[in-house]
Amino acid sequence: MRGKVLLLPAAAGAALLWAAELPDKYTPAERRHWAFQERSRPAVPEFADPRDRAWVRNPIDAFVLARLKKEGLRPAPRADRTTLVRRLYFDLLGIPPTPTEVSAFVNDRSPDAYPRLVERLLDNPHYGERWGQHWLDVVRFAETDGFEYDTHRKDAWRFRDYVIRSFSSDKPYDRFLMEQLAGDEINPEDQELRTASGLNRLGPLRKNAGNQEVASSRNEVLTEMTNVVGSAMLGVTLGCARCHDHKFDPIRQKDYYRIQAYFAATHDKDVALASSEEQTAWQMRFDAADQEVKSLRMSMRGLKGDERKQMEKKLEDLEAAKPEPLPAVYSVANDRARLSPIHVLARGEYENKGERVGMRPLGVLLPDGTGDSDPAQAKSPRTELAKWVTDPANPLTARVMANRIWHYHFGRGIVATPNDFGAMAPRPSHPELLDWLAGEFVSGGFRVKAMHRLILASNTYQQSHRSPAAALGLAKDPENKLLWRFHRRRLEAEEIRDAMLAASGKWNRKAGGPSVLVPVEQELVNLLYKPSQWTASADEEEHHRRSVYLIAKRNLRLPFMEVFDSPDLQISCPRRESSTHAPQALELLNGDISNQMAKALAERLRREAGSHPVEQVDRAYRLVAGRGPNPRERQLGVEFLKGQPLEEFALAMLNLNAFLYVE
Amino acid sequence: MWSSSEHFRITRNRREFLCDACCGFGSLAFASMVKAATVRNPLAAKAPHRAAKAKSVIFLFMAGGPSHIETFDPKPLLNKLHGEKRPASFGEAKYQFITPDARLLGTKRTFQKHGKSGIEVSDLLPHTARCVDDIAVIRSCHGDMVVHSAAQYQLFSGRVIPGFPSMGSWVIYGLGSESESLPAYVVMPDPKGALEAGQPMYTNGFLPAVYQPTMMRPGNKPVLNLDLPKGVSLEQRRRTLGLIRGLNEANMLEEDEDFAARINAYDVAFRMQTEAPATFDLSNEPQETKELYGIGKVPTDDYGRRCLLARRLVEKGVRFVCVVSGGGPGNMQWDAHDDIEENHLRLASQTDRPVAALLTDLKRRGLLDSTLVLWGGEFGRSPEAQGGKGRDHHNYGFSMWMAGGGIQGGRVVGSTDDIGLRATVDPHHFRDIHTTILHQLGLNQDDLSYLHQGRKERLTEVHGSVIEAIL
Repeated sequence: MRGKVLLLPAAAGAALLWAAELPDKYTPAERRHWAFQERSRPAVPEFADPRDRAWVRNPIDAFVLARLKKEGLRPAPRADRTTLVRRLYFDLLGIPPTPTEVSAFVNDRSPDAYPRLVERLLDNPHYGERWGQHWLDVVRFAETDGFEYDTHRKDAWRFRDYVIRSFSSDKPYDRFLMEQLAGDEINPEDQELRTASGLNRLGPLRKNAGNQEVASSRNEVLTEMTNVVGSAMLGVTLGCARCHDHKFDPIRQKDYYRIQAYFAATHDKDVALASSEEQTAWQMRFDAADQEVKSLRMSMRGLKGDERKQMEKKLEDLEAAKPEPLPAVYSVANDRARLSPIHVLARGEYENKGERVGMRPLGVLLPDGTGDSDPAQAKSPRTELAKWVTDPANPLTARVMANRIWHYHFGRGIVATPNDFGAMAPRPSHPELLDWLAGEFVSGGFRVKAMHRLILASNTYQQSHRSPAAALGLAKDPENKLLWRFHRRRLEAEEIRDAMLAASGKWNRKAGGPSVLVPVEQELVNLLYKPSQWTASADEEEHHRRSVYLIAKRNLRLPFMEVFDSPDLQISCPRRESSTHAPQALELLNGDISNQMAKALAERLRREAGSHPVEQVDRAYRLVAGRGPNPRERQLGVEFLKGQPLEEFALAMLNLNAFLYVE
Repeated sequence: MWSSSEHFRITRNRREFLCDACCGFGSLAFASMVKAATVRNPLAAKAPHRAAKAKSVIFLFMAGGPSHIETFDPKPLLNKLHGEKRPASFGEAKYQFITPDARLLGTKRTFQKHGKSGIEVSDLLPHTARCVDDIAVIRSCHGDMVVHSAAQYQLFSGRVIPGFPSMGSWVIYGLGSESESLPAYVVMPDPKGALEAGQPMYTNGFLPAVYQPTMMRPGNKPVLNLDLPKGVSLEQRRRTLGLIRGLNEANMLEEDEDFAARINAYDVAFRMQTEAPATFDLSNEPQETKELYGIGKVPTDDYGRRCLLARRLVEKGVRFVCVVSGGGPGNMQWDAHDDIEENHLRLASQTDRPVAALLTDLKRRGLLDSTLVLWGGEFGRSPEAQGGKGRDHHNYGFSMWMAGGGIQGGRVVGSTDDIGLRATVDPHHFRDIHTTILHQLGLNQDDLSYLHQGRKERLTEVHGSVIEAIL
C-alpha cells in the first residue's frame, strides 16, 4: 500500500470493545483507489513555447494547458471586461453588477484592476449569502421536518446565518466542519458553536400519529446524521453501506455502523435563549392553553357530524392560539444515559440486529484489524470523528472541498460527482491539479477565500466562452471537460429571482434573521396537509429579500424555484441540474414574480431613462444583461416600444438568454 | 449546460420547429438569421427499450389505504372468527395504533362472483365488478411501511423516504411525451385536501425539473401559469414572444444548442397556453359520456370529472396521470380508523361509478389496449378492529388491480392467508407493481437508470420482478 495510513488517537485508544471475530481486511487493490491515496505533490508542468509561457499565469493554468495540449487544443482568449465583471459578480455574490459597477471596472486601466475587484467582492457582505447557499445545498438545509406534519423549525434560520457568517469571515474549513460535527462538545456555553452542531438535526424527521416505532425513528435519525459525514464531508457514498457492504467501494457495512457509533449518544437539544423568568411566564401561558385544548378534547368524545366539525374547528383555533415557542438554538448534546447501542443492522432494518460495534473511522484508511472504541467511554465522541475528518492527512476531506470550490467556479468539478469520489464516479479530469489544489488548501490553513483568489487569478478562469476554435473543441471534447473555453451557465433559481430584484430596484438588502414566507397562490397552500402553516410575512418589504432568506419548507417549495431545478431539500444536493423546458417559460411569462418584477423594472426605466425608447432599451440592457444592446437588439427594442407597453418590454428582458445565462 | 446526455435525444431540427410552430413566429422572419441547429426537446417522445404494450398509465390512487377485506379479498374465516383474538398460527403483526389484544373484525360486505371470469368482488364496488373481466386483481400486494407518509413514498418512488423520483417522473424520463401542448405527467389531487406525504410524493426528486409533475387544481385554472396575467391579451403576448425570440436570436452563436432549446421551450409553452385549455374543457363531451362518469350527480361529480379528464389527457398523448381519491383529514381519505362501513361506503360511492366508466370509456374508444390502469392505495386495512368498527393501516397483504395496457383481465394473482393478514401465495411488493408497469411500457427496469451521486439510481433499485401471471 502506497497511501499513508492515518493512525488516530480514537482508533488506537485503549478502550477497545467488541473486537471483531475476524479482523476486517482490505485488499491492496481496494486500498489503491486514487481517492484513498495520500495527496501527491505533483510537479507543475513547464513549457518551452513562449506562447504557452505567456498564457500560464499560475500553476492552475500549467496543469490545464498541459492537458489541452495533449489533445491538440488551445485555450480560448481572455473574456472581455464586461463579461468578466458580470461573471465574477454572479460567481461570488450571486447578484449582477450595477451599470455603475460595470463601467467602473471596464474603465479602470490600472494593472491590478482585476485582483482588486476580486478582493472587493470577497469582502462584500453578500459573498457569504452566495457561498453559504452552496453549503446549505450540500447539507440539505431545510426549516421543516418534512413527512406528514412538516412541522416548522422556527429557529432553524440560525444555522443558515451561521453558515453565511462562516463563509463571510473565511472561517477555516477544518474548523467549520469541526464546529458543525461537534460544536456542543467543544464548548456547550458558546451559542455560535451550539448553533453549528445543529447540522446533526438538519435531516427530514418522521413523526406520525400514534407512532409505535420508537426504535425505528431513532434509527432514522441516526441514519440522517451518519449519511452527511459521507456525502458532504468525505465524498463517499457511505449511505450505500447501511444495508450491505458497499457494492463498488471498499466500505463495509460495519464501517457504516462504526461511523454511526460516534453519534450513539447524540440527541436533540433546544437551548433556550430566553431568560428563566421569560421561560416561566411562557410555560404558564402554554400550560393554560394546553389545558383548554385537553378539556375540549375530552368534551368532544362521542360527538358526531356537524357538531364534531364545529368542535374540531374550535380545537384548531385553540391549538393555533398556543404561545409560539420561545427563541432557542436547535442544537444537540450527548446524553450517555440514552446511548443507543449500535449494531450492524441486516438490510438496514432496525429489528435485524447483528454484531454490536463501536466507534471507528473508515477501515480502508486504517491498518487491517484496527479495533473500535466504546462510545460509552468517550467524552467527546463527535470531536474524535471531526479530528479524523479534518486531519490534514485525511486524503478525502481536502480533495472533496477543493473540488467543490472548483465545481462552483467552473460548473463542473475536476471530479464531476462532488459527493462521490468512489470507484463508480468518473475519474478526475485533472488528477494532478486536484492534488495540487487540495495541497494548497491544506497548507494555506483550509481558507476558502484563498482558493478563490488562486482560481480567479488563473487565465483558465478568465477565458471567454467564445472560442475561435470552437469547432475543434466541440469535436474533441464536446462537454468541455478539459476547459478549452469558459463554461457558460444558466443562472440558478435563486440567482434568477435575486437578479430580478436587483435589476428592478426592489431588492431589500437586509441580511439574516427569521425566514420570510412570500405570498403564494391559495391553491398551492391547499396542497399542504396543514394549510395553516403558510402565512405570508406581514411586512411586504420582506418579500423582496434574497432567496436564501426565504423559508426552506420541505413540503412546499416555491414553483418558481422548483421549475428552475432548486434542490428538493430532502437529500444532499452536490450539483444543481440545469434543465430547459416549457414550464420555465410559462413561469417567466405568466408567473406573479416575473410580472411584478417587470412592472418594477418598467417603472425604474421610466425613472432613469425617461420616455425615450433608445435610452430605455439601453438602460434595460445595462440593468439586465450588464452590457449595452448590440445594434440589432437596439433596433428590435425600439421598434417594439413604438407600439407596445414598456411593461411587456421589461418582461421580455427578464426572459432573455442575455439575462438568464452568464458567460 | 452539463446535461447528462443520456436523457436528451436529438429530435428534430430547429427549422422544422419554426415551420410548424403554430404561433406564427415565422412571420417575424428572423429564422433565416440562424443556421439550422439541432434542438433538444427533453420531453420529445422517445422509443422504449423494446416493443411496448402500453403507451400511457392512469393511476387511480385510493389514498389512505382501502381495505382489501371489504373489496377484492373475500375472507369467510374472518367473519367466523369475528370478535375473537387472532389465532397465534397467523403470526405477529405490528400496526400503527391497534395493540396486540385487538379483536378480529368480520366484514359486513357480501361477495359475489362476477363476469365470465367469476372473480369475487364485494358489493361495495358494483360498477367496478361489472368490468372485472378486464381487470387483473393482485390479492397479494405488500409494502414495508405501516404509516401513511412513508408508505406513500414507497408506493410512488419505491423508497420509504422522500427525495426519490416518483414512478410518473421515471416514466416520462424514459419515454418523454407524445403531446407537445400538454404536460407529460399530470397529478389531479383530491380537492378535499392534501395527503400525508405531501408534494414530495409526486415529484421528480433528483431528476431534472423537466420531469416534474404538473399538479392540476380544481376550478377554472387547472394548471399554474397557463393563463395570461390580468390585462394582457393574447395578441399582446404574441408580440412580446416575438420580441423575446428576436432579441435572443440577435445574440446567438451559430450552432448554439442550449439557446435553441430555450427558444423551443417558448414555442411549446405558447402551444400549451393556446391548446391545453380546450383539453381541460369537458363541456363538449356528449351528455351520455358525462352521465356514464356520474358527472353532475352527487357524489360522483368530482371524481367523475377527473376520470373523464384523465381519459382526455391520455387520448392526447399524456404519459402518466394520477387521479387521487381522498385528501385532507383521515376520514376524508380511505383511512377508515373509526368506522370501516361508513368510510368505505362513502368513498366507494364517490369513485366506483367513475372508475368503471373510465374503463368502459377507454375500452370503447380503443384506448384501453394502450392505457394501463392501476387501482390501489399505499396499504390495505387490518383484519383486527380498531375501536370496535374501524380498521388500522395494514401493509402485510392487500389488493391492487391493473387493467389495460396488455394486462390480461379476468385474472386473480396471489392470495393472503385466511384472515387477510399476510400475503402468503405469490406475494408482490410495490417493486413488482413498478416493474410490471415499466415492462408494459417497454422499459427495462435496469436500463431505466439515472446517475445520481455516483450511483445508478433506478425506480426498482436492484429488486422487482414482472408479475407474469397477469400478462
